[in-house]
Amino acid sequence: MANRTYEVMYMVNPDTPADTIAKLNEAVGKLVEKEGGTVVRMDDVGIRRLAYPIQKKQDGYYVLFEIEGSGQEIAELERRMRVNDMIMRYITVRVDEDRKAATRRREKREARAAKRTKFRGAASEAPAEA
Amino acid sequence: MAEKEMEILDERGGMDVGEDVIGDRPRRYQRRRPRQVVPEYVDWKDIDYLRQFVPERGKIMPRRISGISAKDQRRIAQAIKRARSMAMLPFVAD
Repeated sequence: MANRTYEVMYMVNPDTPADTIAKLNEAVGKLVEKEGGTVVRMDDVGIRRLAYPIQKKQDGYYVLFEIEGSGQEIAELERRMRVNDMIMRYITVRVDEDRKAATRRREKREARAAKRTKFRGAASEAPAEA
Repeated sequence: MAEKEMEILDERGGMDVGEDVIGDRPRRYQRRRPRQVVPEYVDWKDIDYLRQFVPERGKIMPRRISGISAKDQRRIAQAIKRARSMAMLPFVAD
């Protein structure tokens, strides 16, 4: 199965005790591994102010995961997050294709910049950026 | 009358001028920030970057003001919408 990269972010109720959140994060990691995915990165962002109130709360505890896998683990993870009432919001974004597009774009940009400097030659050492 | 104002603006600025067809005749406009460079990867978590396309009211800045390409505008709009759904940016702010 083609490997895909996902960013999964969820927002936990800020009133939950820290050890419960830690346990939840651990459970997420285990679930992903059980379903055949790998956790590339785990970022515990912590409590942040919300841009608008959710469930009458002004803050949220953010956790970000970067997961590699087939997509199966994402389906299971989303199912679990939906029923978990500690989790106020979650979002999954598939990033591998966007990242690939970004590297393509960067290469194109660099190639164009190299061409421009070559064209101008050594006469003007500092290429004036338009 | 509005058109006359726009023409005066064009003569003064002479920056980037575009046209939008709204109704029967094209409306001239002047880009406020001509030719913006957008990073290769627009991260929806990078709120500080996205904020420059979200004016005070919380709306997404139109392309005619932001001065970025249509392709980049789509990417930025998508990122802003993702950030909104996670309450990192407001839907409306007043």
